[in-house]
Amino acid sequence: MTKYMIDKFMRAVEMSDDAVSRYVADPAGFVDAWLAGGGTPDLPTDDRVLTPEERDAFAAVDHAALYALGAHPYLLWHFIEAAHTHEFGDGFGWRDLVERYRADVAPHGHVDYIP
Amino acid sequence: MAELVMAAATPHNPLLWRAMRDPMPDDLAAVAGNFARIRDTISELGVDVLVVVGTDHIRQFFFDHAPAFVVGKAAQYHGTYENEVRTFGMEYVELAGHPELAEAIAGRELLPEAIDFAVSHEWRLDHGFVIPLQYLRPELDLPIVPIHTNATLPPLPSPRRFAVLGEHLRETIAAWETDARVALITSGHMATDVGGPRQFAGSPDPEFDADAVAWMRDGDLEGAVDGCRFDRVMAAGNVTYQYVNVITALAAMGGRPADLAEATESRFASSPFFMWRKPA
Repeated sequence: MTKYMIDKFMRAVEMSDDAVSRYVADPAGFVDAWLAGGGTPDLPTDDRVLTPEERDAFAAVDHAALYALGAHPYLLWHFIEAAHTHEFGDGFGWRDLVERYRADVAPHGHVDYIP
Repeated sequence: MAELVMAAATPHNPLLWRAMRDPMPDDLAAVAGNFARIRDTISELGVDVLVVVGTDHIRQFFFDHAPAFVVGKAAQYHGTYENEVRTFGMEYVELAGHPELAEAIAGRELLPEAIDFAVSHEWRLDHGFVIPLQYLRPELDLPIVPIHTNATLPPLPSPRRFAVLGEHLRETIAAWETDARVALITSGHMATDVGGPRQFAGSPDPEFDADAVAWMRDGDLEGAVDGCRFDRVMAAGNVTYQYVNVITALAAMGGRPADLAEATESRFASSPFFMWRKPA
C-alpha cells in the first residue's frame, strides 16, 4: 500500500485542467505515462510508484476501490468530481455523482487514510 | 500600540460562490446576512489589517511537507487555483500581504517561544482564505497576514495549540508598536464530511454542531479544547477539524463569550458564524 503515492497522483491530476483532460481521455495510458515520468537521481525527488492494484483502480477510475485502498477522502472526492464533470448533462448531474459516490464508499465505512 | 479590535469566524464553502447571488435564494439569505454583519463591523471599526487563520486544502501544502502552522511573510499573494475556477467558478485574485506584522508574529531570527511556526514567502491562497475575504471585504484592499493551520494532513496540531496560537496573536498585536487596528478572521466549518460516506447530506453530526456553537456563545475555552479531541472531531466528519480554527479566535479574545454565535442553516451543511467585538 502506498497511500502517499495514491494521493500524489490524484492531486497531480485534479489540480490541472490539462491533466484532467488527458486522464479522462485515456485513464490507463495517463497513469502509465505518469508512472514512467518520475524524477531521476540528479533531479529533485519526484518518485512515482503504485502497486498493480492501485494502478488498475486509477485505470478504471474506480472510486470505491481507491477509497478502500486509503485514498485521502478530500482529494478523492475532488479527483472523482473532476474525472466525471464531462459527463454532466441531461439525465446525470453533480447530485447524481454525489449520491453514487456516497453509496459506493459507504460499505467501507471509515478507512485509515493516513500514510 | 496596535489594537485587536475584533475577531470573527466564517465558512469558506466554495459552493456558495455560484449559489449565493442576487436574487438571493431564501435559504441562503441568513448566510449572506451574517457575512454582511461581519463585513459591516470591519468597516465600522476602521480595521487596517486582517490576520486570516485558515487551512490550505492540500493545494500549497501536501504530505511531502506538511507544517503545523505557517505564517505568510510575503508582500503579495495570488489567490485561487485552477481547479477552483473549474469546479466552483471562483475568480483569481491578488492580495497585499503585511510582512511587518507577519514578522512580529513568527519572529525574525528566532521563533517565538509559543509556537514553532514555518514561514512562507510564496504561497497561492485557496478558497479557505479567498472566499471569506471576498465576502468580508469585497474591495480586497486591506493587507493580510495569512496563517495556515494543518487540519487535513495528520498528524495535526492538538486543539490546545490553536488556543496557544490565539493567545500568541493577542499578545503580539498588543505589543506591536503601531496604531494599526487589527481584525482576526478564522475560516472553517461546522461538522462536515467531504469524500466520505456522509458527504453533502446535511450536517453529519448536529450534536457536535450544537456543542460547537455553545462553546463560543458561552465563552467556554476549556470546553472547546476538551470537546475537540481528534477522535471526537473526526467522528463529526472527516474535514470537521477545520472548526478548530475558531478556538484561535476565542483564545485571542480572552475566552469571553461571542457576541454572535450561530450555525446558520442552508441547503449546505450548517455554516459557522462567530464574532467578538472588543468591548467599548
